[in-house]
Amino acid sequence: MKNPDLRNNLKIILLVASWDLMKLKNQKVFLAMRIAWFTLQVLVFARAISYIVSQGILAYTGGVDYYYFYLLGIYTSLLYSTSISRGYVVADEFDDGIVEYHLSLPIKRSLFAVGRVLGCSLSTIIFTLPMMAVVYAILKVSNFLSILLSLIFALLFSIGIVGFVLLLVFAVRSADLTDILVGAIDALLVRLSTVFYPLPVIEATGIAPYYVAALMNPISHLSDFLRVLVFPEYYLVLRQGIVPTIVYMVAFSMGFLVIAIEYYERKLEAGGWK
Amino acid sequence: MEVKEWIRGAVLVAQRDLSRFWRNIYWLAGQVAMNIADLVIFAVIFRGLVNPAFIPDYIRFITPGILCLAIFISAFSIGREVGIELRREVTQYLVSLPVTRGALVAGRIMGGVLRGFLYQAGFVILAVVLMSMPSVDKWILILTSSFLLALTMSSLSITLSTLTRDFNLQAAIRSLVYFIFFFVSNVFYPEKALAMRLGSAAPIAYYSPMSMAVNLYRFGFNYTTSVDVLFNLAGLIAWATLSLLFAYKVYIRNLTR
Repeated sequence: MKNPDLRNNLKIILLVASWDLMKLKNQKVFLAMRIAWFTLQVLVFARAISYIVSQGILAYTGGVDYYYFYLLGIYTSLLYSTSISRGYVVADEFDDGIVEYHLSLPIKRSLFAVGRVLGCSLSTIIFTLPMMAVVYAILKVSNFLSILLSLIFALLFSIGIVGFVLLLVFAVRSADLTDILVGAIDALLVRLSTVFYPLPVIEATGIAPYYVAALMNPISHLSDFLRVLVFPEYYLVLRQGIVPTIVYMVAFSMGFLVIAIEYYERKLEAGGWK
Repeated sequence: MEVKEWIRGAVLVAQRDLSRFWRNIYWLAGQVAMNIADLVIFAVIFRGLVNPAFIPDYIRFITPGILCLAIFISAFSIGREVGIELRREVTQYLVSLPVTRGALVAGRIMGGVLRGFLYQAGFVILAVVLMSMPSVDKWILILTSSFLLALTMSSLSITLSTLTRDFNLQAAIRSLVYFIFFFVSNVFYPEKALAMRLGSAAPIAYYSPMSMAVNLYRFGFNYTTSVDVLFNLAGLIAWATLSLLFAYKVYIRNLTR
């Protein structure tokens, strides 16, 4: 790398990101619990619920079995919830006074913000890797390109969600209220997505706001993208094709990253977070 | 006189918890909205996807499950607060109150039970509308089931929340309990589906407090008549008694260590 400034900046971003990654070391019990409940969800709930679902669903999933369809949905919802909780850690830091320490570091605010978002997102990906492995093992996915693309888009998705949570944290400025709000948004967005039902089924209900919410929902986009990667026949379900989904994911991620940096930089000055 | 003081102390603690329940009005509104959204989504979408050979009307099947969910959410809200108290060291204030430790635990559990009852009330009315009006003896059975389930959940929640000060870990424990109780039960699917998917392990679901309560609700609201009322009621009593004892021992130990 010829530009020393760029090299320095990257070094700083990685240093800040490593703050979040290091926290993973202390979360072995938490991770074990998450794996336990995810396994329960995959092996008990998903299997039992797919048993009672009528075979008519195949017409809406492009022939993909409901169990397989649902597996990629719950992986996405897990990725979403983990990104939310990683971002929420920042709200806890405001309460605990760690932000004051961060501000005393000789690091540019914008680099600090990028490092935090990236750190939270990377730790989300690492944290959810075992669950992804469980799902991909059940689906017998071995194509390296599919796995790589899944990880890249999962990271993009996570960056967008973490950026969104940071905005929320600054806007609300109360850990308790953020906790409630984040919980409500978490539950609502998962319900208004294609995690459980394919888009044509939602469209068939005739409830336009529900359909639009599911169509615009980032969770829908990532779960459908993963479904196309693993089951090419699912492409038939996406009326607009895969390109709008890819554009949406990149725009969602970069958009929230830029807004979060801008907001973070502005709000951190002079105790603006208090 | 001592018993009177003990009861007064417990009632005061329960009143405090109840008044705090209304203070989180946004959380409450969000939870109610989620439960109703679940019912609507189940009614509008999932009902059409379920094979009628297994469940002829999914909305009637799932409504008693929503009653269990309502109890779980409201009773576990005590646990969420206990966790926050522990992290912010409000527990020091609680143990310094001029009430006995027993009255403190009883009051907290009572607070959880009352929250459960109040939160569930609206959904019980909804269940009457969606299912049918129970007879007087079935009303007694429904209310007893709600009381026992709320007692179990409230006891478990305050105990589990004191196991760790880590917010994420507290939330993870709550979620794990939710997944175990609800997924390994017949709340979302019939026993036949569990038997097909879990094989010889399926009978575990019979012993879940959620299965027991949902069976009693389904019987109470006339969804089915083939329920072993005695087994399910005795099971719920056993769950409530054990959880109560567990809460009494562990909650106090964790608060004072």
